[in-house]
Amino acid sequence: MDELEEIKATFFLECEELLADLENGLLAMQSGSADGETINAVFRAVHSVKGGAGAFGLDPLVRFAHVFETLLDEVRSHKVEATLELVRELLRAADVLADHVQAARTDGAVNEAASAQMAAVLDSLTVAGKAATAAASPVAAPPVAAAPPPPAAPAPPRASLPVDDGIGSNFRPMTVSLASFDAAPLAPPAGDGDWIVKFRPKTELYRNANDPLLLLRELERLGPISVVIDDAELPGLNELNPEAAYLGFTVTLKASLQESAIREVFEFVDGDCVVDITPPAPPPVEFDLVALLKAAEDVKPAADFTPAPQVMFKPLAAPPLDLMASPGPATPPPIPVFAPTAAAPPPPPPPAAEPPPPVSAEPAPEFTGVLAASIKTPAPKPQPAVAEAPANAQATIRVDPERIDRLIDLVGELVINQAMLAQRVIESGLASSSSVALGLDELEQLTRQIQDGVMAIRAQPVKSVFQRMPRLVREVANMTGKQVRLVTEGESTEVDKTVIERLGEPITHMLRNAIDHGLETPEERRAAGKPVEGTVRLAALHRGGRIVIEVGDDGRGINRKRVLAIAVEKELISSDATLTDEEIDNLIFLPGFSTAKTVSDISGRGVGMDVVRRSVQALGGRISISSKPGEGSVFTLSLPLTLAVLDGMVVDVAGQTLVIPLTAIIESLRPKPEEVKGLGPQGAVLSVRESFVPLVDIANALGFRSEKRAPSDGVVLLIEAEDGGRAALVADAIQGQRQVVIKSLESNYRQVEGIAAATILGDGRVALIVDVDALVAMRRRDGARNSEPTLFAAE
Amino acid sequence: MSDLKSNLTDRRELISFRIGEQEFCVDIMAVREIRGWTPATPLPQSPAFINGVINLRGAVLPIMDLAARLGFATSVTSARSVIIVVKVGERMIGLLVDAVSDILMITDDMVQVAPDVACDRVRSFVRGLISIDSRMISLIALDRLLPELDQLAA
Repeated sequence: MDELEEIKATFFLECEELLADLENGLLAMQSGSADGETINAVFRAVHSVKGGAGAFGLDPLVRFAHVFETLLDEVRSHKVEATLELVRELLRAADVLADHVQAARTDGAVNEAASAQMAAVLDSLTVAGKAATAAASPVAAPPVAAAPPPPAAPAPPRASLPVDDGIGSNFRPMTVSLASFDAAPLAPPAGDGDWIVKFRPKTELYRNANDPLLLLRELERLGPISVVIDDAELPGLNELNPEAAYLGFTVTLKASLQESAIREVFEFVDGDCVVDITPPAPPPVEFDLVALLKAAEDVKPAADFTPAPQVMFKPLAAPPLDLMASPGPATPPPIPVFAPTAAAPPPPPPPAAEPPPPVSAEPAPEFTGVLAASIKTPAPKPQPAVAEAPANAQATIRVDPERIDRLIDLVGELVINQAMLAQRVIESGLASSSSVALGLDELEQLTRQIQDGVMAIRAQPVKSVFQRMPRLVREVANMTGKQVRLVTEGESTEVDKTVIERLGEPITHMLRNAIDHGLETPEERRAAGKPVEGTVRLAALHRGGRIVIEVGDDGRGINRKRVLAIAVEKELISSDATLTDEEIDNLIFLPGFSTAKTVSDISGRGVGMDVVRRSVQALGGRISISSKPGEGSVFTLSLPLTLAVLDGMVVDVAGQTLVIPLTAIIESLRPKPEEVKGLGPQGAVLSVRESFVPLVDIANALGFRSEKRAPSDGVVLLIEAEDGGRAALVADAIQGQRQVVIKSLESNYRQVEGIAAATILGDGRVALIVDVDALVAMRRRDGARNSEPTLFAAE
Repeated sequence: MSDLKSNLTDRRELISFRIGEQEFCVDIMAVREIRGWTPATPLPQSPAFINGVINLRGAVLPIMDLAARLGFATSVTSARSVIIVVKVGERMIGLLVDAVSDILMITDDMVQVAPDVACDRVRSFVRGLISIDSRMISLIALDRLLPELDQLAA
């Protein structure tokens, strides 16, 4: 990957975060919990995406982001009211923006029609908003406010940047003739609402690959600008260091806005340049400043403009009217030094909401003559960037996940190695009180701690998965014509990355199912006396060393009669079977089961829930549903916290060592011969406290031993399968409980039925981890094959 | 000069080993390591030519009894048995053989097509025959040993 690609990859990573921020902010606005900072954050997110995209020349993305940003800007400045409808459109726009980012990332195509339509919607919202508020805006001097600020504002004739298409992509650098400065007016008149931004890049700015041009372009977006270059510090060619920064820029910006908006432009180059912002001042002062600049220019020719003589000035008592009358100032007569004028002008009324610097007989502003020097005005010190600082500037580092995976592998090795060492020590006959054994105990504890710590590095909040869901819910809701509100809980619940990666798919399926099948149409809901808007709840929590995901809806609940009828019709169950409500509910997980009347794009191809169930089971998880007619259903998904380690029971089976996941085991017991009852020619059940549990001999099921053995000779592990069914697994002996590192069998071999994975034990040998459910299912199937058909039906 | 160069690029190194009285070889570039026999953990639901899995520095490595795979009788493992760890595609697999003989340097034109008389199984796993010092060595087509694993899974 070359360097640019790397930077680009980083940009897309950031985009992901920014898009998430954007969506979160918008959702907060939707739920009414937004404050001023929220909308700022939303704006910043789009702005940053646009900025980055511009740097990589991702034009379609930039174009869309620009339209989006323009509207957000107006929402931010309260020109457009953030109604619920607007926020809904903004959310849709956020989705389109995400599509654009995705398209740019994969070099794919974006749905141009959808994007253009969305852009048009956004655009219409801005114009409408502007029309409504234009009259109300006090500062709205005609030339500025009549047209939408960035694109159409007439640029001042001289020394200004060319008008671009509003996005900056048509920006043409212009040639500036230095010689013309002497004769030219320094700047167009600074009238009401004109900001003076003095901006002098330091060498670092260029070194950090920033470009003043981009900043000027950003400024221009805020309103018409005119720029004057200050080349005062430019040395002669013989002294010129090509890598140093010499130029400064004085930008006159015609716009009514908050100082923070201008500060924001310089947010990314903070510290790399000197920025001095003078708020719009009453005309006389501004006029004087300009004249003074000119004067200073005249006194010292540009080429060797060294720190100038101290020039004192006081606002001239020029009546504001004068200025208004002659906007394009005839070149002011060169005035070498301003003599303080006797009278201070009457302070004119504030031009905008922004308090103007009260210019009066206060100590006169002092101007040192160097453009870069700050122009001190008695204006109230504007709130600096403190308020702008990101609210949660957490110190985090980005690490290549592969490095962490490698670390986890290594720690896994360490755990195995430590176990091997411990075993050797025991075998060597050292007393458990010997210093070696004691040291080994400590090593074990440390190893365990390191393992926990490393696993914690990889643990991530489920937020990253949950964040993708609002969009899905919106899309499914749109497709089905239902109104849905998504409520999420427990987003900060942490799970190992290996699990996080696999969570998205089942949650997506469950949500789709909840909206598509669970929720009623708005009409049905109204008829049922429920709120028209359905609620879908997505929650995550830790329970018993596992993560539990719940997807609940307040819809109609499972129609058990229909489920039963369909299951019988599709021959999934026999017609005379009597099932409990819970068993009926769980029929929807059977392969090929689908109750949807019509097959939709969303769900209902009959592959949904059984696929979900299988993928969940493959992860060592379980899924179940509970439902109340008329009140809704809740899917409950439980998964191990990590797929890297597992607590298991180590057992001996026909000379082999096997590991049985502890989560599946309810209890272990040694059966008495009279508790084992034969059932049919092959089967046997175990009587456990008056209930009968099928017996499964592990050695037989896995083919390690073909002859039968009396279960009472071994140990029985009572397990609970995913479907809630119980079974009694027969092993020869129990070695003990141990945490084992899960090793894939598939990476070098393939999946083996009845085996979930492998691990490496203390003696360095591979032990297999039993897939309890598959084992029971296999046994059931094999039993069915070998036994009478009637017995099968009963099962 | 150019002749020498092309000769060098044509040249290949092979590791030869014995199964029973016959000699076979594999391309040395596929071989990751050669190690002594350690008992393997048997896998259920697996064909007879899969001995089981062993721990190769933390990875689970399946062991294939090459003799059984080629249709000979299942190997009787002894202390002298050897596991040749080869990489085929993305997978690592251990080939159980009776003993490793030596390293051969050959050029591609030394590989002859296996004659028709050989049985189907041999023909499908043997890419060609090499004659060196009046020994006949069969070149194993490693990639053909494994695809059946996927079919077995189906």
